[in-house]
Amino acid sequence: MVATPDAVHNSIKPGRWVRSTCKMCLHSCTNLIHVTDDGVINKVEGDPTNPSNRGKLCPKGNSAIMRHYDPNRFTQPLKRTNPEKGPNIDPKWVPISWDEALTLVADKLKDCLQTDPRRIIPSLEDFQKMNIWVWPLAFGNFNFFQSGGTMCGGAYHPVNGYVHSAFAAANDPKYCNFWLNNGTGDGFSSHLHAAAQSSWVADARVERGMRCVTVEPRFSISAAKSEEWVPIRPATDRQFALSMCHVMVSEGWCDYKSLRKDTNAPYLVGDDGYFIRNADGKTYVWDSVDNRAKLWDDPSVGEAALEGGAWTVEGKPCKPAFQRFRDILADCSPEAMEKLTTVPPATVRRLAKEMYDAAGIAADAKIEIDGRVMPLRPAAYNYYRGAQGHKLGFQANHAFKMVNFLLGCIDAPGGHLGVTLDDQWVDHSHIAPGENGMIKPTPHQLGPVPPFAYPPNTFQLMDYFPVGVHPPHLNLEVFLNPEKYGVEFRPDTMIICHSNPIWAMQGPREKWFEFMRSMKFIAVSDIIPTETTQWADVILPSHDMFESWNMTMIEPPHTEGMCMRQPAVEPLYNTKSEEDIFSDLAERIGVLDSYNEVLNFALGFVQKPELKLQPGIKYTDKEIARRKGLLWNGKDLDWYVEHGHAVTERRLDKWYRPWEGMRLHFYIEDMVGIRDDLKQKMEAAKVPFRHEWAWEDYQPLPTPRLDPVHSEPPEYDLYGMFFKDIQINFGESLSNPWIQDIVYRDPVHIALMLNPKTAAKQGLKPLDIVKVESPYGKIFGRIGVSEGWHPDALGVSNALSRAKIHSKGIKHAGGHFNDLLPYDLRNTDGVTGQPETVCKVRITKLPDWPEHLKMGGSVYDLVDELAKPGKGRKH
Amino acid sequence: MAINDLPIVGDSFALGYRFQRYWDTPMANAFFFGELGAGLFFVSLLLGSAQGMLAGLLITGLLKTYFHLSHMGVPKRSWRAIMRPDRSWVSRGLLGIVGLMGFGGATVLIAWTGILAPDSLLVLLLKFAAGAAALVVMTYQGLAMSHSTAIAFWNTGLMPVASLAYAMTGGVMLLLAAVPESAQSLLPVALLLHLCIAAILLSMLHAARHGSPGARKSAELLTRTTYAKWFLVLVCGAGVLLPVLLLWLAGSVPTVALTAAAGTLAGYYTFRLLVFKAGVYEPIMSFRP
Amino acid sequence: MARYGMVFDLKRCIGCNACVVACKQENALPEGVFFTRTLSEEYGVYPAVNRVYIPTLCNHCEDAPCEKVCPSGATYTRPDGIVMVNPETCIGCGSCAVACPYDQRSEMKAESFKDGLFGTGELTPFEQQGYPRYTPGMVTKCDFCSGRVDAGLDPACVVTCPTEARIFGDLDDPESKPSQLIRERNGRPPLPEKNTRPKVYYID
Repeated sequence: MVATPDAVHNSIKPGRWVRSTCKMCLHSCTNLIHVTDDGVINKVEGDPTNPSNRGKLCPKGNSAIMRHYDPNRFTQPLKRTNPEKGPNIDPKWVPISWDEALTLVADKLKDCLQTDPRRIIPSLEDFQKMNIWVWPLAFGNFNFFQSGGTMCGGAYHPVNGYVHSAFAAANDPKYCNFWLNNGTGDGFSSHLHAAAQSSWVADARVERGMRCVTVEPRFSISAAKSEEWVPIRPATDRQFALSMCHVMVSEGWCDYKSLRKDTNAPYLVGDDGYFIRNADGKTYVWDSVDNRAKLWDDPSVGEAALEGGAWTVEGKPCKPAFQRFRDILADCSPEAMEKLTTVPPATVRRLAKEMYDAAGIAADAKIEIDGRVMPLRPAAYNYYRGAQGHKLGFQANHAFKMVNFLLGCIDAPGGHLGVTLDDQWVDHSHIAPGENGMIKPTPHQLGPVPPFAYPPNTFQLMDYFPVGVHPPHLNLEVFLNPEKYGVEFRPDTMIICHSNPIWAMQGPREKWFEFMRSMKFIAVSDIIPTETTQWADVILPSHDMFESWNMTMIEPPHTEGMCMRQPAVEPLYNTKSEEDIFSDLAERIGVLDSYNEVLNFALGFVQKPELKLQPGIKYTDKEIARRKGLLWNGKDLDWYVEHGHAVTERRLDKWYRPWEGMRLHFYIEDMVGIRDDLKQKMEAAKVPFRHEWAWEDYQPLPTPRLDPVHSEPPEYDLYGMFFKDIQINFGESLSNPWIQDIVYRDPVHIALMLNPKTAAKQGLKPLDIVKVESPYGKIFGRIGVSEGWHPDALGVSNALSRAKIHSKGIKHAGGHFNDLLPYDLRNTDGVTGQPETVCKVRITKLPDWPEHLKMGGSVYDLVDELAKPGKGRKH
Repeated sequence: MAINDLPIVGDSFALGYRFQRYWDTPMANAFFFGELGAGLFFVSLLLGSAQGMLAGLLITGLLKTYFHLSHMGVPKRSWRAIMRPDRSWVSRGLLGIVGLMGFGGATVLIAWTGILAPDSLLVLLLKFAAGAAALVVMTYQGLAMSHSTAIAFWNTGLMPVASLAYAMTGGVMLLLAAVPESAQSLLPVALLLHLCIAAILLSMLHAARHGSPGARKSAELLTRTTYAKWFLVLVCGAGVLLPVLLLWLAGSVPTVALTAAAGTLAGYYTFRLLVFKAGVYEPIMSFRP
Repeated sequence: MARYGMVFDLKRCIGCNACVVACKQENALPEGVFFTRTLSEEYGVYPAVNRVYIPTLCNHCEDAPCEKVCPSGATYTRPDGIVMVNPETCIGCGSCAVACPYDQRSEMKAESFKDGLFGTGELTPFEQQGYPRYTPGMVTKCDFCSGRVDAGLDPACVVTCPTEARIFGDLDDPESKPSQLIRERNGRPPLPEKNTRPKVYYID
């Protein structure tokens, strides 16, 4: 790019441009970093050569420089000298050398390894660096204490693993004509590669007239840009989806051809929930032409029945899996579901018809792309955190998939597609054949899970979630009731990196503080002070995104390929890369070789032996990045330094119907098998809490059973729900002055939001100070009203979530919404560990703020200043 | 109309009316003293009072200058304000002030020292020039405001008329209070001027109520909401009604005249300030039906 | 000679304010100063609610009132239509600010240059290299990233917009993207009754 010697605009001052990857959220838009001749980073732009974000950056990506130059950044390793720990207590850091810091940490870790490695609780949460995430596997530790991803992904990832054999999922904006968003901001404000996805969706809407419908309790950005907003009561999306399915199945608005050919919907299922199998384990279908059962791959099958039964096959009464779903749907009419969802039945019926019509099923629409002819199904049901984050999470995700199954749009052009996390090498197919013509399900999208054990080997009871994602909130449940869960170890040592669980873990902060106080030693690696660094005994400061190397591909929709991060400048301070810190620690505690082996598997280097990490060597961030790049496309770092990334549009055979010729898991039989296996193991081990384990959560088909949130005591009369928008999601940005500038000027992020009629009924006015209580915790805040809220909802933005800590940069409000959430087993998905993310609340008006919040510097103080006429604000 | 439903929004990113606060209290002070001093000078010039002229020059020269400089973003460059008399009322006004100080100062000096005869041509020309300059200074601020399509309430030809009327009224009332003997000639002028002010205020509000949305919002602020108390009590009550009553009933009594003058000036100052405070930018568009 | 203008596509804008932050980056804007803002208007009664996101910036009016009232001549229009403010001659009188019907002027308060973005009284290296462009106390605004435009680039806000809701180009070229959009989708300027002849148009 051009530079002008006397330029006043930053991007054209003399300097150089560095190709790199953004780290302001966990995704990986690539960027261009401008460094002046004086070595100052003065502009960050999107990289136009990347077909994903195509030169664009969201506001977080644009604000990165103010993270780099944040004066609150850790500048060197620190040791705590104040033994008293608390959220707003000065740790009285003293600077120490790296050697002293690493020795301190390593000594504590060694002590644990020698006595009981389970004393260590790791919280290593950098999604862009899975090599750090898997570090504890080097010593067989499966403890887990990070808040990122469990509220949005607890059940989401396992179900995507079952249905798409992928990590995430998104609608296809290239061909979709009817895009339904349920509890997600995909394409507008959030989720996959926001800058990229919103660009694709805007093009689809404006250039192709794609119709959008948003189903959610709040009038979100997605709703504002959609042709239709369907308000829905919080935590009822599963029932809405099932009511859609009810209509589609009753009216015959389904892609029966796809169900028959591409899924296990016709497979015969016995009353015990298992497929009917012959002696060789092969499954059956019912041929409605010959009117008898045949093996699933019998070429003589005329038409495999989807409905009907009960027939007797192999001596057992059975029905097709589809019929079993139809039976469940009998209770899911829009009229029946309206009582819960408040969505008018006419709306459900109309949407079902519109989606069916838009999907082109009647005409069996086809499309030819690159010589391959495929079904064109340009109508799809998209969903994410808001819709899936509930106790019956597995069933919720499954229910949303069912709409797409019925539309025949799973992985079809224009439809709802699986998105992989990190393909690692270009030819890596995420699809493998499973049994009986079905794809091999891959629910463990985030790595291996610990085997069953009693007494438990993990503090968060992951030993009992064979299909799940770690449930870190259960750490608190077990901490408060160790005898009940029979844990024979007490964790007392934490190692935390790029993670802030004290900010966001669900459950009351006070109880989490007890948990932290029970720790004898806490080491934290981070860039800036957070709610969690407050508790550290040692701070190990790490490089930021302008000072380090990385190579990552992380759940990009529509594209694939490694994105490289390279240092743009020398580190500003005495920091180290996370790789240096953790390989050094690994060496000091004697697990370096084991760690390198873990990495060889986790990062896929076993695919190319010349890339394997060798014993005894501490690999730097640069070396690991180089290997990941070589693994992807055989190109060395110099190629990546020149190109910045290897991103291309996703290879079509990996993107559209990558399982062609195989069958998808419409019916998830694993739920029955895994449940029975787990039950049997728990029985054999006489696990004391086995009788309260939620066996009924394991369902091969989604049901309309209510989540327990709906049966809280009636005095809790509103549904509290949490939300974010593009300025503040998937990463920490609230400490950034540029993000504060835009978030706290946005009317939706500056108050606890109510529908005006609801506020009036409760006797509340805007600016009233209130206490919000759930059966589990409480927060404080100030009321705002907007017509864009379901009357039963209280909306709490993430912008109000920070706590007062010893750093000036962060504006506290009245407590994190997640303080209101339960952390118990009753509100946890027995299948996946997914926690409930909605709560029933009641509101009490207060005459004034409670004493502990009257300390100035809050969000509300800032909002009041901005409300005053005039320009600018004080700090 | 629907656009009226939009709120005043401070510095948030919600669509709505925004108060203008670029010209705030220091600028209001500068306007007030600038016009008052010029008005006092002008009336004194007509009545032949050298002390009055001097007082007026001092008010404008010292107080207006001080407050205007304290408002400026880059005070040490303020001399540049004189650069565009072809387009800018501020430039013209500054020239006017220079002229007023120069011609007016010379007039006062000559009157004091008696160097030249009061009816000599040069003195007459000086007086004429000084008077013209005073007229410019009395009206230019109102003219500058009237050109603003941004602050709709200011966008009326009544603004410079209000400036002129208030300036003259202020000058007259100051003289009335300081020189009780002038009551004979000044009382009817004072009453008339106050009635003019009343008429101007009423017209201004009437035009605003039926004008563009920003003007309507300002009128609402002045008569019904945020600034209503100040406007009605000080500007209308103390500034017009009270002086009219007092002058009518006992204007020749010095203390009464003094009280009336205090009322007039309080009303005048409040007017100057409120016209700034109640000025709003209109929302640039609205989609509500 | 080009005549530069911009089009805002209200159908595309998602109110993310990436443009606002890109502008703050590009122009090293001090605390509380915005050269562009994306506003939102919410209206209607539940459940028939609407919200529109409305980007705004200096309209670089052909008949710029800010230029007409500027007593020092610091505000001037380039031949290509970009309305500029000379930091050497601006006296910070604010006449432009009260003349702009769109409230697009910003005062660069002297305290902001001292306090810094983090309020510590110390400027980050980013601020140190960026602030000298301004005279503390001046009143200024968006300049369509004039330096970038001279270098053949689009303004920073345009380049970063994830949904391509901001389109910049030569209004005198009938085939330029903004000209086409104004024609095809009925582009209209804001507050036309103020007679400033803005060169920024809105389409929806």
